[in-house]
Amino acid sequence: MSTLGDGRIDIDRGTVLKGGLLALAGAIALAVVAPIAWLVVRAFDMGIESALALLSSPSTVQITVNSALLVAAVTAGSVLLGVPLAVLTARTDLPFRRFWTVLLALPLVVPSYIGAFAFVSAFGPRGTLADLLAPLGVESIPTIYGLQGTVLVLTLFVYPYVFLTTRAALLSFDASQIEAARTLNHSYLGAFRRIVLPQIAPGIAAGALLVGLYTLSDFGTPSIMHYDVFTRMIFVEYNAFGRGRAALLSVLLLGLTVAILGIESRLSADDGNAYAGGRRGYTISLGAWKWPALAFCTLVVALCLLVPLGVLAMWLFRGGPGYSAGGFAFEWSYGLNSVVVAALAALVATVAALPVGYLSARTDGPLTDLFDRMTYLGYAAPGVVVGFALVYFGVRYLPGLYQTLPLLIFGYVVRFIPQAVGTTQSSVLQVDRSLLEAARTLGHSPLASFRRVTLPLIAPGVVAGAALVFLTTMKELPATLLLHPSGFKTLVTYIWQVQDAGYYGAAAVPALVLVAVSGLSMLVILTQEGDDVR
Amino acid sequence: MTRRAGDDPRANGSDDHGDSGLGRRRFLRTSAVVAGGALVAGCSSGDSGANASGANGSNASSNASGGANGTVGNASGNASANGSVGITSFRGSGPLVESRPPLKGPRIDDLPDLSGTLSVYLGGGEGGLYTQFLDLLQKMYPKFNVKLRTASSSQLANTLITEVESGSPKADVFWAVDLGALGVVANNDATMKLPKKVVKPVPKSFHPNDQWVGVAGRARSVPYNTNKLSANQIPNKVQKFTDAKKLQGSMGWAPTYGAFQSFVTAMRLLRGKEQTKQWLTGMQEQGISEYPDEFLVSNAVADGELAAGFANHYYSLRVRAARPNAPIELAFTKGDAGALINAAGVEVIKGTERRQLAMDFIKHLLTAEAQEFFATRTFAYPMIPGVPPVGGLPTIDELNPPELDLAKLSNLEPTLKLMRETGVL
Repeated sequence: MSTLGDGRIDIDRGTVLKGGLLALAGAIALAVVAPIAWLVVRAFDMGIESALALLSSPSTVQITVNSALLVAAVTAGSVLLGVPLAVLTARTDLPFRRFWTVLLALPLVVPSYIGAFAFVSAFGPRGTLADLLAPLGVESIPTIYGLQGTVLVLTLFVYPYVFLTTRAALLSFDASQIEAARTLNHSYLGAFRRIVLPQIAPGIAAGALLVGLYTLSDFGTPSIMHYDVFTRMIFVEYNAFGRGRAALLSVLLLGLTVAILGIESRLSADDGNAYAGGRRGYTISLGAWKWPALAFCTLVVALCLLVPLGVLAMWLFRGGPGYSAGGFAFEWSYGLNSVVVAALAALVATVAALPVGYLSARTDGPLTDLFDRMTYLGYAAPGVVVGFALVYFGVRYLPGLYQTLPLLIFGYVVRFIPQAVGTTQSSVLQVDRSLLEAARTLGHSPLASFRRVTLPLIAPGVVAGAALVFLTTMKELPATLLLHPSGFKTLVTYIWQVQDAGYYGAAAVPALVLVAVSGLSMLVILTQEGDDVR
Repeated sequence: MTRRAGDDPRANGSDDHGDSGLGRRRFLRTSAVVAGGALVAGCSSGDSGANASGANGSNASSNASGGANGTVGNASGNASANGSVGITSFRGSGPLVESRPPLKGPRIDDLPDLSGTLSVYLGGGEGGLYTQFLDLLQKMYPKFNVKLRTASSSQLANTLITEVESGSPKADVFWAVDLGALGVVANNDATMKLPKKVVKPVPKSFHPNDQWVGVAGRARSVPYNTNKLSANQIPNKVQKFTDAKKLQGSMGWAPTYGAFQSFVTAMRLLRGKEQTKQWLTGMQEQGISEYPDEFLVSNAVADGELAAGFANHYYSLRVRAARPNAPIELAFTKGDAGALINAAGVEVIKGTERRQLAMDFIKHLLTAEAQEFFATRTFAYPMIPGVPPVGGLPTIDELNPPELDLAKLSNLEPTLKLMRETGVL
């Protein structure tokens, strides 16, 4: 930690700095959790008896089981899909790797309410596929509704979290180790299992956590696919002015979140020493496996991108029932508004995530872990819950900020900060500690060595986190509807309006703009990966 | 309208130029000059204005010329029969709006000019259609400015209640597509009583306690596929749907949809919990399919995916407006929950500093012009007797809505409980 000579002073300064950092991280964690704490208050409003009745009712038990099943299945599916694709694009000689990397990451930019709708239009009863098969004598196709459809659709649109975090881990992985393993006569697969997997496990876990919690908070897909989970029931309660019941269900949902966070911490408990360094870059030769690999990538891209884009194009060009517009003039300024709020949210979330992510990567104390985990609560809370919490908070305690951009952006930060915390943390973990020690040996203060050594090294990860926050903010709907300044329209509020009125055709252009702009931010994420194929 | 019967039909434009009110005059001059341009095209062909879809292309053009005819007072058909430029600018277009009878009711000309900024919470994406109406008003009155906030009706109602609880409401007027949402806000003591002279043109059942007033109605209906069923195969009592053999395994509903929940609430209020429970269970035993909303139910009926469904009346009209040959018709039950008429309505929020403007604004919503707008563009049931609905629908007095205090529809909680107990939700 320090050189021999001025060790004492240095430790003191380091301790003070660390204390300050800890306090800062704690303040940030508390700030993003505060609005959610309101839920607990609300939940107690309804009285213990009816609360118990609601908690023990068969439908509550059912949706708890349903939600847990969904999270488990989507997380497993995303790992099974995301990890192989990450290996293929990051560490093999797959042709057109850059191209595939971009396409395979893009499904993340498709909002679930568009993706799921597209799947129902394409594969539902009376959908495009059924219409195509009908002349061939196929009477009915397996139903897309229910658990299997929800798992399929959610997995296809959220696996990129695992894909991206796994890629990042693979790219910064020290290649000399794998060469050493190969020298010791391990096969590629053996080397992967024994050397690579343990080192990229934190990356996979970070992605899987984002997937699991996103699944828990998503409303659009389960509701379109007719699968009853927490979000749908909470939404129903809010619609029915059962604010207390909605709050209680939200608290229950947060309980599930805490359980998931607990499982994740346990799984990734022994990854503390995954610092990498040294020579990077190695490539596995695919040989004859090239073709199945290409077919696999093509299939995933077709399902994740061509289906929704095709359905959007159909809305745009087909003069079908109710597909035409309903007198809502689209203005390009909506796109600009979306970009501005998303960029601001990304900036604030990234800056706020730095101390939390840095601390949890560099120290093992229970407090730092707690702060880190606290930021995840808002992410698993459905947007409508965070939205109402902030309406209540804003009106009561921050009347000057209510229905202004700062509160809206704070809402986005509450919801999406863990994406930035997660990427920051894994970037910091990857920084070779010996570099820092070298810097300190050369007489740099802790702050200076952070600025001159750590920051440049983690910059790509931090920027990638910012881009993640940016694109999820772009597509966030429920909190936007509740917190936006009056008269301030964004792409998603416009899409919501025309879709809610049944004019799907009018949703096509803004949806395509949304996907295109978010796609650009995905390019930012990918170029920040650094030493990829260049 | 009758007031204008003796006016010179040759030159409606100049007739209106003679009106008082500078703003209005400027508005009319603009529309006369820019026929086919921003205003007339923007308003009357608005149905296709927002996107590049070719679907409504023909409607748009036929309608643009209709608007032009009205504007210059050409003696072609209904436009000039109605006489007022105002009406044609407010009127919609398309196959369902081809012949409109003369209209009766209060006219915008008779009302004071609107001026100032009004904060309106507009609930429901359906309400997006109303933004066009607000645009028209703002073009008419250059000094009138609407600060608009849109979200779902229930979200805005929850928001408003929270705001009023904290003593700082941000809205002057709440305009919601659902009377339930209006009722919840009113029950939380957050609204002002509307003066008699404001609500007078509307039948009593749509302003039962004068805390709110309906501006555009919608009827519960049974859309059915004419290739699969004939009108007489649709029971005329909603209670009979549970054992209608013809409907087995071929009906659809949207239980998470607000209007459907209002309908079940009505049934609960009219028939009691037990019978409602039996009905919900009975329909499930009939093998009813679930959809996310009622447009999709109506669309599935037109496609033949369903033989019949439960939906608000205007969704079928919208399907027919886009596909005039779609095999879809509407049936109505009689005197029960299935014949409920709900409405979009408005209320004035307690504590507003713009009470007079809010009241004048509501008066504008209840003119023949505004009602024609809602009837021909949103396919709603007009709330004033002098304006008939489109699409060959029975008029409001030909329907048999149940005797029910609509404000009670806001009591959704017991309904949801029933729906949960029966596994519908």
